[in-house]
This record gives sequence, structure tokens and C-alpha cells, in this order.
Amino acid sequence: MNTEFTELLRPFLKFAGPEEITEDARLRDLGLDSMREIELLFAIEETFGVAVPDDKLVDSTFATAGGLWGVVEELRTPVGGGSR
Amino acid sequence: MTAVAGYAPAVETVAEIAAEHARQADETAAFPTEALAAMRRSGLLGLLVPEAEGGAGGTLPDLVDVTLALGRVDMSVAMVFAMHCQQVAAITAYGGEKLRAEVLPSVARGERYLGSVTTEAGKGGHLLTAESALEHDGEMLRVDRQAPIVTGGPYADAFLITTRAPGAGSAAQVDLVYADRDQVEVEVTGGWRPLGMRATHSVPMRLRGAVPQWQVIGEHGGFREIATTVFAPLAHVGWAAAWIGAAAGAYARVLRHARSEAGRRQFAPSSELVLLRLAGIRARLDAAHALLRHTVSVVTDAPDMSAAPVQMLLNTLKIRAAEESFAAAHELVELAGLRHGYLTDSPLALERTFRDLRSASLNYANDRLRLANGALSLRDPGVRLA
Ligand SMILES: Cc1cc2nc3c(=O)[nH]c(=O)nc-3n(C[C@H](O)[C@H](O)[C@H](O)COP(=O)(O)OP(=O)(O)OC[C@H]3O[C@@H](n4cnc5c(N)ncnc54)[C@H](O)[C@@H]3O)c2cc1C
Repeated sequence: MNTEFTELLRPFLKFAGPEEITEDARLRDLGLDSMREIELLFAIEETFGVAVPDDKLVDSTFATAGGLWGVVEELRTPVGGGSR
Repeated sequence: MTAVAGYAPAVETVAEIAAEHARQADETAAFPTEALAAMRRSGLLGLLVPEAEGGAGGTLPDLVDVTLALGRVDMSVAMVFAMHCQQVAAITAYGGEKLRAEVLPSVARGERYLGSVTTEAGKGGHLLTAESALEHDGEMLRVDRQAPIVTGGPYADAFLITTRAPGAGSAAQVDLVYADRDQVEVEVTGGWRPLGMRATHSVPMRLRGAVPQWQVIGEHGGFREIATTVFAPLAHVGWAAAWIGAAAGAYARVLRHARSEAGRRQFAPSSELVLLRLAGIRARLDAAHALLRHTVSVVTDAPDMSAAPVQMLLNTLKIRAAEESFAAAHELVELAGLRHGYLTDSPLALERTFRDLRSASLNYANDRLRLANGALSLRDPGVRLA
């Protein structure tokens, strides 16, 4: 996960405090609520220039920081190319 | 043979007993103990307990059929039944082996009626947070929970309670815990003087005690998943069935009255006003019922219950069933007029149904679900209609 991503997450996680946000951080436990999920999604799409497909918009996508990052990475990677 | 076919006589008996006591229970805001006793005796409490654990192995459509039937005679009894079944389904789906073995067979034998404790003072109906803690105390987990409204609380043999997970860093880490009545000190902290749903006897309580670790349902912090896959769907489906049943029962009483000798004078079939009103009410019931059955089929086949189209449909069912059923009751009062629509001693009991159904939009606030659906619809720009 790059810091741009974790810093983007932080304002959505009202219980995370100043601590490091790790891959296995459970986003909902840290305060991501379903009413703000969509704002987070918009922020991610804008920042990383990706469009998350509808079928990825399920609870499991938003379960952990690492899981969500994985989805972003996958969308950023051109078919056949390596990750940046 | 479906579970319900086998249970038809039980449903009939319970409905008869519920009907017999409905007026008295409403007047005194007393719990329908006779109807609960009949549910215990007849095995109806075990409708959703799997066959392997001694129950009827009933399905969601079975729950709907039974709840609709009970709702026709007494909406409070239907709610008591549906909410108990919701607790059973949570234990069946997420309870550990030991908890299942301890609880489910005794539910099937009619020995345990399960109460539900999710609402909390500080958070209103917000299901996915909890204020009160669950704390380690040696091998045990200590509970001290204020419960502002517990249907049939004083008559429950056990409770499913939401609390914060032990050591939780936030109110969003919620556990669902099973507590037997003899594991908690039960204090009734107030009375129950509502407009309707009076026979649910939903008093405020404080529950204090300790339970072993294996009575936590699912993993620590796992309530969110239970809510998405079992609790919310069963609540919305079960409540909708109780409401539609109540409105259908009232409509049936009006129609039977309209065809009686006394009624024929009041409800002239030549009156277009009467015909239009009757058609309008029927349309509300048909639309809500169709939505209920469709939602059940979607839920039964959904690969991921958290998908936005499924969640929105479930919320829409709750919102629309509440609105249509209450509107139907309102129109029935208007149609029947003062004598049968407004007076409490009318045998048609429309005013009771009207008061009962007024709770529907509040019982998990419709506004809360509309807000959720607004956010969910942005998660589904393709508008994949479920
Ligand atoms: C007959 C009956 C039996 C019940 N039995 C039980 C039981 O056995 N166990 C149990 O735990 N609970 C029970 N409940 C409670 C029920 O499940 C709901 O939790 C409760 O009705 C919600 O009440 P509320 O209006 O205080 O809460 P809220 O949902 O907090 O609503 C309060 C007001 O705020 C508005 N609002 C909407 N959205 C929001 C938002 N995002 N934030 C804040 N406010 C919002 C609502 O429209 C409403 O006007 C029962 C309720 C009834 C009517």
C-alpha cells in the first residue's frame, strides 16, 4: 500500500488515530461506515484514475485496507503489464 | 410435504387461540401467554430449527406463510413469532456446535422462546453499532446491557444481545451474544404503554450477567456479517409478513361484514365509491405481497447478500410493506366509517389494526433505510434490478 492510499483512507477511519494503517486493518472496525463508503469510493477513483466496476461494490471489497488496495492495484494494472 | 403443510394444524390452533385473546391482550397491554403456550406445545417455535436438530427444517417461505396467517388475527403475536424465528436463524447459521446443540433442540421442543436485544438508548435503532461492553472476567464474558424495548422480554427464556466486542476500539465492533435467562439478572426498568402493538409487551429492561465464550455467535466483531446475511433479511421479511397479514386480515373482516345482511345495507355493491375504495385497498395488498414473495426468492438465491441491489430490495420491502399496509388500514377505517372503523368494540377490530400498523414505519425507522438506499444506489450505477 502506498502512503497516498493510506492517507486518503485516514479521514474515513475516525477510530484509527495517528497509528499506522496496516494491510490487515479492518476498515469498518476503524470507523468506516456504510453511509460514507461511497465518498471513499469517489475519492479513490479520482485519486488513482480507476473506475471500480459495480460487481466489486460488495462488503468484502471494503473489508480490509490491504483488500481494498488490492482491488485498486488490479484496476491500475494494464492487461498483460506489471504493477507500477 | 413442506414444513408448513405439516404445521397447518399448529398454525390453525395458534391463530384460533390468538384470536380469542387478542382484544383482552390489546386492552391490558399484556403478553399473549396463551398464544405463546400454544406455539410451544405445537412445535411452531421450532419452525426454523433444522430437522437434524429436531425442528421442522422450515424455510423462508414457510416463515412468511405462518407469519401472514398469524398476522391476520393478531399482529403482535405474528411479530413475537417472526422475531423469535429471526433469533433461531442467527443461531442456526452462525452458532458454534456447542451452542447449537445446547439451544436448538430445546427450541424445537418448545422450551425456549428467544428475545431480541439490539436497540440501545444512545444509538436509537442503528443496528450496526453498540454502546455497552462485553468484558472478559476470567473464563467468562460479562454483560451489562440496557435494553429500552424488548418484545416479550419478561417471558423470554433466553436473549440474543448485541454488545461491543471485548476490547473493541470502536462502537462498530459488535458481537451477538446468547444469554440464557438464568445466566442474567433481569430487571424490568419501566412500563409499556404504547399506541399499538400492545400485546408485544415490549418493556425496557436491564440485563446483567456472564456467559462463556462459546455463547458468542460467530466471531468477535462478527455481527455485521450476521446482520447482512440473516438478521436484516429475516427482520424485513418477517415484519413485512406480519404487517401484510394484519392488513389482509382486517380487509377480510370488512369484506365478510360487507356480505352479511347488516353490512349489505352499508356497503352497497352499486356504490362506485365503495368499489373504488375496495379495489384500491386490494391493490395495495397485492403489490406489497408480490414484493414480499419476490424479495424472498431473491434472498434465497443471492450469491452475495451484501450486493447493493439485494440490500436495496430488502430495504424497499420493509419501507413499502410498512407504508402500504398502514395505508390499507387507514383506508379501511375510512370505508367502514365510525361504527366499525373507529369504535373499539366493533368486532371488525379495524381501529386496533390501524394502531398496530402505525408502528410499522417506526419499527426500524423508514427514514434510516431511505438514507441507506440513497447511498446504496450510488454503488449501483448500472441499476441492476434484483
Ligand atoms: C412493537 C415494537 C417492538 C420492538 N421490539 C424490539 C425488540 O424486541 N428488541 C429490540 O432491540 N428492539 C425492538 N424494537 C425497536 C426497533 O427495532 C427499532 O430499533 C426502533 O423502533 C427504532 O426506534 P427509534 O425511533 O428510537 O430510533 P431511530 O432509528 O434512531 O429513529 C429516530 C428518528 O430519527 C430518524 N433517523 C433516520 N435516520 C437517522 C439516522 N441516520 N440517524 C439518526 N436518526 C435518524 C428516524 O426517522 C426517526 O424519526 C421494537 C419496536 C417496536 C415498535
